[in-house]
Amino acid sequence: MIKQFFEASTVINNKYVSQWKKNGKKVVGYTCSYVPDEIFHAAGILPFRIRGFGSTDTTIGDTYFGPFICSLPKCMLQLAGEGKFNFLDGAIITPGCDSMRRLDECWRKAGGDIAGAIPPFFFHFGVPHKFSDYTIKWFTDETRRLIAAVEDHFKVKVNNADLKKSIKLYNKSRALLDRFEALRTMDTPPFTGEEALVVIIAGTTMPREDYNALLEKFIADAEKSPGIKDRVRLMLVGSANDDIGMVRVIEGTKALVVADNLCFGSRFYTDRVEEEGDPVFELSRRYLGHNDCPRMYGDYQRRLGILEQKVRKANIDGVIMQNIRFCDLHGAENGLFERDLEAKGIPCMRLEREYGPLVETGRMKMRVDAFIERIQQKRRAVA
Amino acid sequence: MRKETREYKFDWMLWNTFLAASHMKNGTDKEYRSALKYIPYFNRILEAIFSPGEPGKKFLEACAKYAENIVFAKERGHKTAVTTFCFSPAIFYAMDIVPICLEVLTVMMTFVYRRGTAEFLDYCNEVGFTETSCSSQRGTVGAYLAGIGTDVDMFVTDTPGVCDTNANAFSFAAVYLNKPFFQLDMPPDLTDSRTNEYHREDFRALIRFLEEQTGKKLDPERLKENLLELEKQDEIIAALEDLARLVPCPLPVSYNFMIYASRFFFAGTPEGTVVLESMLKVARENAAKNISGLSGGVEKLRSFFCYIDHYAQNMQFWNMLDQNGICYQGNILSHFWSHNAPHVAHYHKEEAAYKINTGNMDAIIDSMGMINSRMPMVKSIRGPYDAPNMWLEDTLGLAKIYNSDFIVYNGTPGCRNTWGMVKLLARDTEKAGFPTYIMYADAFDARVQSWEATEERFMEFLKVRRLV
Repeated sequence: MIKQFFEASTVINNKYVSQWKKNGKKVVGYTCSYVPDEIFHAAGILPFRIRGFGSTDTTIGDTYFGPFICSLPKCMLQLAGEGKFNFLDGAIITPGCDSMRRLDECWRKAGGDIAGAIPPFFFHFGVPHKFSDYTIKWFTDETRRLIAAVEDHFKVKVNNADLKKSIKLYNKSRALLDRFEALRTMDTPPFTGEEALVVIIAGTTMPREDYNALLEKFIADAEKSPGIKDRVRLMLVGSANDDIGMVRVIEGTKALVVADNLCFGSRFYTDRVEEEGDPVFELSRRYLGHNDCPRMYGDYQRRLGILEQKVRKANIDGVIMQNIRFCDLHGAENGLFERDLEAKGIPCMRLEREYGPLVETGRMKMRVDAFIERIQQKRRAVA
Repeated sequence: MRKETREYKFDWMLWNTFLAASHMKNGTDKEYRSALKYIPYFNRILEAIFSPGEPGKKFLEACAKYAENIVFAKERGHKTAVTTFCFSPAIFYAMDIVPICLEVLTVMMTFVYRRGTAEFLDYCNEVGFTETSCSSQRGTVGAYLAGIGTDVDMFVTDTPGVCDTNANAFSFAAVYLNKPFFQLDMPPDLTDSRTNEYHREDFRALIRFLEEQTGKKLDPERLKENLLELEKQDEIIAALEDLARLVPCPLPVSYNFMIYASRFFFAGTPEGTVVLESMLKVARENAAKNISGLSGGVEKLRSFFCYIDHYAQNMQFWNMLDQNGICYQGNILSHFWSHNAPHVAHYHKEEAAYKINTGNMDAIIDSMGMINSRMPMVKSIRGPYDAPNMWLEDTLGLAKIYNSDFIVYNGTPGCRNTWGMVKLLARDTEKAGFPTYIMYADAFDARVQSWEATEERFMEFLKVRRLV
């Protein structure tokens, strides 16, 4: 079963997407976890999280973006320019951060230069940077604007009844992922951090009904597993990371990533959408209010609290805080997390890296090994 | 950070330096020339600022006054708010809060310190900032993080939705120093009704925050007074901008900086108005005589900078333009979006500008919200660069009205937002007929690219494009 998740999370145009398209149905990509998937599901469209993995260079990305820009959107643009996203019928760009939001213009311009590089439906979806009554109102209106644009372009109707069904289905996913996380944080987790990331990411690239069914089976099997023992327990936080290989490098044979706070990880499924009331408002409230990204300025203490809680719950030995170069939001917040968590005796390691093809595996492995050694020394000293 | 850097409060040093500088011309010219020898890292800037005569002296006095307000804020019973250049400080003055504008203080330190703000920039990295964060905030906030500035009461910014690295610097510092933080957030559009409502609600939330921090209610009469003074400043700036359209341009190179620094320091206060009035007087005299503001008196080229200045290393940037007969038609910082600004009348839509209305409290607050949402940078780079009222439209409008021969982009490597779209902007401005040059220097940190390399590349661009 893990093979199916692995295929769904490491092949761009995976078999679920191909089958979906063969059935004459539409696929819309999005770049950031602030976009409510439920809208597309209710419209009979497959929501697909756009990523940059598999890109082997950034020549196209570098043509449009300037030099001091995060390599994630550059890799996304590279793949778009190479035609790897040609199966997309639409794309939603959000101002998750300054690098990512400029994918809007860069992709549009690349679309003008490279035939077929840009999907026919292209939408800029605004997201406020704070959570209050008037920002939720604005975001609800923005979500309605998105729905109207989807209805108009794809000639579909997104009604409240369908939205509520989709919300229920996605909430079921979230409940399953909570069970999945409970297994992951056990003393003897039944799967590795690499496998955990594979399972979570697959949820962003395949039809939700299929995902829930697979996930239920996976959890049932995992519950019977004897589990993995005697590893250093790590938590991975920071910039967007969908690089399964990076988790593999971190874990090696001595460690296990048993928790995370990544937008490709646990941030994707924590919290539910309220199933009663106006579905558009409830979706907006959940997506704006319960996403723990440092782009939401002034909310550091709450995010620190989440990390501390995870450290306790998963019995974490050390926290790896990574950021993609030029990701100042996560990079700087990692500096604060390091100060505050180290003060409480939790070993932390900050790691700056490039996204995708430029990842320096050897350097990273050496640093992680040194960090694991530090944790093991601490353990021995306590013993 | 070196021990001796920690010896004195940095803002106290700045106050003393600018106060002394403002007195430099009080004696004879011989005394002034002799004194210049003792300030080898500041003398070139002083020369440039003093060159227009009285406005330079008044500007230095304003700089000293600004630093003095910061240094003595606590003694005088005022709260202090660390804020950003694109946040109009009029609301702070109306509530007896002393604004501490990070970027302008960074420029002031870049002017006077031999090593610029390098030690403060690096200190930020030592305590957790990424080295890729913007140098404009790091240059000063490093001093506050190191505890060698006046006591800070709160952090207020309006750059979420405009510039991540700016907003992030404020939220980081607020957490680090455990101080209250407030952000005005900017949606990607400028003029639609949803955006207007958002700005209004957000500004009201800001007032509630400031009232909570100061324990005082906002006095509408004080705010009205400030807005009326701001209106006066806008009229003077509009007149200066109108004069800048003349060929030759009667404005000296340093005017561009003096316009926006006065506005960022003292929006809505007489201290700012005095400087601007004096600048207008000299510009009008030059215009009446049909003389160029350049020291050589001959205008060979007209340049428009679509982003910011280059301040590092004794502001040699000014000298380079001046000595090559290049008239500096300003940048994104020096052009404000008041309804009466000439560029608004010619190339932009009325709803993209602001108009001050002091009719009642709601109108006053709405005016403040409109001003803030149309501050330099906040207006132009909040949405897609090629959307209505955004960077491309603004750049082309300004370059055309000032009859510029070419356009230059300069910023810092920390400016994630503009680096994400500047190549596309340059492609479009080139298509519109403006040779466009992208500088890769750091406006505040000469260690990124030395001035010599910056100058050589700039001049190479002019030669290759046959502009000289």
